[in-house]
Amino acid sequence: MTVDEVSLFLALLAVLTEAGVLAGAVLAAGGRVVPTLGRARDAALAAVGPQALALAFAIAAVSMAGSLYFSEVANFTPCRLCWYQRICMYPLVPLLGIAAWRRDLAIRPYGIVLALSGLAISSYHVLLERVPSLESSSVCEVSNPCTLIWVERLGYLTIPAMALSGFAGIALLLLIARERR
Amino acid sequence: MTATQRRNRTRARNAPPPSRSTWLWVGLVTVVIGAALIAVFASRDSSSPSQPGVAQTRPVQITGAPLPALGSGADPAVGLPIPEVQGAGFDGTPLAITRDGRPKLVMFVAHWCPHCQREVPLIVAHLRTATVPAGVDLFAVSTAASDARPNFPPSAWLADEGWGVRTLVDSASSEASAAFGVSGFPFFVAVDANGNVVARTSGEISMDTFDGLVARAAGRDDRAPDPTLPVR
Repeated sequence: MTVDEVSLFLALLAVLTEAGVLAGAVLAAGGRVVPTLGRARDAALAAVGPQALALAFAIAAVSMAGSLYFSEVANFTPCRLCWYQRICMYPLVPLLGIAAWRRDLAIRPYGIVLALSGLAISSYHVLLERVPSLESSSVCEVSNPCTLIWVERLGYLTIPAMALSGFAGIALLLLIARERR
Repeated sequence: MTATQRRNRTRARNAPPPSRSTWLWVGLVTVVIGAALIAVFASRDSSSPSQPGVAQTRPVQITGAPLPALGSGADPAVGLPIPEVQGAGFDGTPLAITRDGRPKLVMFVAHWCPHCQREVPLIVAHLRTATVPAGVDLFAVSTAASDARPNFPPSAWLADEGWGVRTLVDSASSEASAAFGVSGFPFFVAVDANGNVVARTSGEISMDTFDGLVARAAGRDDRAPDPTLPVR
């Protein structure tokens, strides 16, 4: 697959994750008010909750693989903020993998903290990409500024925007993770 | 029908229906495969624009001592002679930035830098109406070009912006940029008629600052000092 194909594939997965997060938010908020949404929320929780750790692991693994593909195969040099996001995402892979295997819900607070930290960093990174003047100066570093947009798919999905979707998906899944019956 | 076949049929009839979790995973895998197929087919005809025959980096020859990098304090390069750069433009026409007795403003731009992408159209629009003092030469250096980075190739980007400033193409290892002590993009070097640095600055600048740099290069310090520039 070419870089274009891989980046579009990852972007589509990010859209899928965003749709899931959005649906989760609507069901969580609307379920309190509208009884039909409440029933849909309960059904979704029953279906997804027991699989949430495995799904969160899958998102983290794909995110890590995508990040390594961009840096090691496509030769897109990670910037400072990219590294901070990697620091949050990469440990989630073994942590969530082992937790999913052992069905260990005790991982939830640790995973949520990592995911929310990554979410905050990627949000700031996306903001910097859109408003480069938010940087402390209006200068591009000679080597690799954080404002540099390597990839932009579907009109808005840059690499940190995809990471943001991944972190949001992982955080939501860890919030709704339930024991299997 | 044999007894074994009958047993298998009964077992299949009595097997529990697939659980919601099974459907979840089947649906997910289907969507992922669908996304992969869409990615492959949708990317078939997309290719990055290229300009065949136009070199985006060219060898340069540098003579003279390199300038120190621009730091945050007073600029140590002010008063020092610029290194001379012999090279060529995008079309291969020889071009040189030398101590030729003419004041000049040299601008270093990188195609992938969002600040350069914002600055170039400002300068293009400004130069349509502004009058550069007679005898002052404007040069640009297209540097840090990389086909792995966005907005490549720089020749197409600058042409699209209507860039009319003579542009020297830096080498693949950005030797001209390093010789001028470039510390960030965009980067501006005002040079007086003696070939000495009058002022340097990096980052996006206002057109007042641009005019101020040109005036400094021309030796006219009658403008109000610009707070963004080191005062000399």
